[in-house]
Amino acid sequence: MATLLVEIGCEELPAGACREAAEQLPALVERELGVEAGQVLVTPRRIAVLVEEVDERTPDEWVKGPPEELAEKAAVGFAKKHGVTVEDLVSREGFLGVERPGRPLAEVLPERLDSIVRGLSFSKSMRWDESGIRFARPVRWTLAMIDSETVVGGSSFGHRFTAGPVQIPHAGEYVERLRAAGVEPDAEERRRQILAGLDAVGSWSDPAHVLEEVVYLVESVTVLEGTFDERFLQLPERVVVTAMQSHQRYFPLGGNRFAFVANGGDPDTVRAGNEGVLEGRLDDASFTFERDVRLGIDRLAERLGAITFFAGAGSLADKTERVRELVGKLGGGEATLEAARLAKGDQASELVREFPDLEGHIGAEYARLAGYPEAVCAAIDEQYLPDSAGGPLPQTEAGKVLAAADKLDTLTVSFSLGHKPTGSRDPYGLRRAAIGLCRLAVEGGLTVPRVLMPDEVREFTEERLEGLVDVPVEYVRAARASAAGDLGGVARLAEALYAERDTPEFEAVFTAYDRANRLAGREADQAAPELDRSLLGEDAERAVAEALASVSTDGDVRTVLESGATLAPVMERFFDEVLVMDEDPAVRANRLRLLLDVRDTLGRLGDFSQIPR
Amino acid sequence: MIRALEGYWADEGCVLMQPYHTELAAGTMNPATFLRCLGPDPWKTAYVEPSIRPQDGRYGENPYRFQQFFQFQVILKPAPEDVLDRYFASLEVLGIDLQRHDIRLVEDDWEQPTLGAWGLGWEVWCDGMEITQWTYFQQLGGFDVELVPAEMTYGLERLAMFLQGKRTAFELEWVPGVTWGEVYRESERQWSAYNFELAPVEVLTARFGEHEEECRLLLERGLPLPAYDQVLKCSHTFNLLDARGAISATERATYIRRVRALARDVAKRYLEANGDAAG
Repeated sequence: MATLLVEIGCEELPAGACREAAEQLPALVERELGVEAGQVLVTPRRIAVLVEEVDERTPDEWVKGPPEELAEKAAVGFAKKHGVTVEDLVSREGFLGVERPGRPLAEVLPERLDSIVRGLSFSKSMRWDESGIRFARPVRWTLAMIDSETVVGGSSFGHRFTAGPVQIPHAGEYVERLRAAGVEPDAEERRRQILAGLDAVGSWSDPAHVLEEVVYLVESVTVLEGTFDERFLQLPERVVVTAMQSHQRYFPLGGNRFAFVANGGDPDTVRAGNEGVLEGRLDDASFTFERDVRLGIDRLAERLGAITFFAGAGSLADKTERVRELVGKLGGGEATLEAARLAKGDQASELVREFPDLEGHIGAEYARLAGYPEAVCAAIDEQYLPDSAGGPLPQTEAGKVLAAADKLDTLTVSFSLGHKPTGSRDPYGLRRAAIGLCRLAVEGGLTVPRVLMPDEVREFTEERLEGLVDVPVEYVRAARASAAGDLGGVARLAEALYAERDTPEFEAVFTAYDRANRLAGREADQAAPELDRSLLGEDAERAVAEALASVSTDGDVRTVLESGATLAPVMERFFDEVLVMDEDPAVRANRLRLLLDVRDTLGRLGDFSQIPR
Repeated sequence: MIRALEGYWADEGCVLMQPYHTELAAGTMNPATFLRCLGPDPWKTAYVEPSIRPQDGRYGENPYRFQQFFQFQVILKPAPEDVLDRYFASLEVLGIDLQRHDIRLVEDDWEQPTLGAWGLGWEVWCDGMEITQWTYFQQLGGFDVELVPAEMTYGLERLAMFLQGKRTAFELEWVPGVTWGEVYRESERQWSAYNFELAPVEVLTARFGEHEEECRLLLERGLPLPAYDQVLKCSHTFNLLDARGAISATERATYIRRVRALARDVAKRYLEANGDAAG
């Protein structure tokens, strides 16, 4: 038994590529070497596997060929294909086959290592020389060792700037030799060191989740602390945090302090350099910020006429007008209308051009600086929420109304211009907008009248409810066909119908609806436009008409179901006693109308034909 | 600094070129890079390129934003195996002690849609400051490169700020007693006024079409080199129109497509004349 080391040395790999390699490596090693990958060690400059207790020979193999009874026809070809004679074939369990004795691991390693290199696949890969191999970044060395025997390559390499080639005397010493050469090969250990270092400097945060990337940005961990001039604290905090995190991969420590992870260098020099870079960025942001603030959110908002929302959809000033109108229709008050007027103002600001992810937030900060009430500012801040499937909803009422109005407008305008999402293409983010609108209604409790949505938009938006409401989709589809007046009402109805599905009243209403619909639904074009009571000749049909007149569709689902259930016995009698398809066309048309009225009255609760029974 | 880089890369066998004679947004667009990196012939070059980006001007008020700055561009085609070591050695020539500083290669993939070009690479950080854009080209003008070139674009102002310990480009010492600000600040102010306020939109719009047409004519005559200049003029005209705020988001995509189509046709012609047109 031996220890095996395989190392692929690269130019600096992106963090994403490191993770992809670490994920794929165990299966690849198993496939190519027939062993379980012991330890997977990935840094930006190397992808390595260490396996202890490896057999020094690959296992014997038996390659299955044709069944014995076909030997005459097939044996020669099969043997030839595998470079042996027919006499060499060995039969097992009725099949001919070729015996492939295991080979020394050292002999197969070079080709297997090559297969591993070629077998790794990255979401972004490149060519770099005439070999044509594709990899995330150029491969510059490979090393394979069995115990102290070097099978492929010569040496490993230590830290890029503090150590050169590293001789590994024995595969089992790989990790310690690299550590001595300034490289921590184990990503988990680097993560642990980073966390320990961050904890030691203070209460750090990582809202943009850069830690995962930082683990793969260094081979050796030094956590350093830096500060910046307090005058930059005048900037919106999120601007400062974004400058630190997305540009520099720093960790905010609160106030004017930050932490970062270096890969080496003299700590004081490196700290001073990084502080200078961050201050430069913040200084640049301050220039932009001060120019914006001198103008103020009102003047910025006045410039929206010059910015196109998107082609055919007018300017952002036009959008603002439409959103204000929708805010009114959604019951928004003065604060919401004011927020709507200013909401897109930051799109005219320079700072949003630099920090596009902070749209809305920057506008809110500018509104605060202009002295607007907090309700207005908070609504501006929250207008794009929820911005992801599980993302938070606006917390303020004004924010909910503004967010819903913004999404309604985007959906309405986009659909009117024919920009419907197709397949995975959704350049205008309409799915997200529709899901957001549904969540504002369902989870946020906002009343979104369905009449505010043009038919196509309503269809598209309500289809999103099917994935959001936790009942079988048929109940949502049934509820979508109901007379529910608002988006949240559709969801509540779907839930209520599902909760009632096993009650006798539900059963009664369902049956009445179903029978009426089955019989009359197909003949709807023959039905009379209106019920003519004078044509109701039979007691049974008069009873249905009377019962129907007293059915109330107001109130909660339970009440409506109870009321609707009173139709069940009279309907049963009707179907027993009355022949709907009477010879007299007028009577027939009138009876069809009666059934359709039953269906449509009960149908105010939903389209029961959607629900499987 | 420029002399040090030129000396180093000349010793590495690079042809030292001079800045190109029409406005470029980046040294990559210089035909010494864009065209020479196509085709099967090896090529090594190094040159300074003034990078003209009308949208980035700030009237000389913001010491971090300019409509013109300088790049030092190096191309090694094909990229030698130790290309990174050679690059790091150039930093040492500039006086950067690689052991005292924290030098890092941070993923930064490059894409230039107007040229149908992309590559993978890094931004090189020195103590957190980006001092070089580093790219292995993969496609130019929509064509796969035959020999993969390494492109190193040093940001000269940033490097100088770093080396001189200055916080802004304005304070940089150009020669003893003369600062960068004294040389370029007024020009920033005047060019920003032109780029943002005065550049004539209608004239430029027409000019874009003229350059486009001239490019096509030159291609028909089998002259990809002068045709490429017309691509560059189209690109700069587009940037000016953009700075003037005269281009909506959808028009933007159309303009980019038009320039890309020209760049692709020029690349195709160039390849037909200079080796086989792969890809």
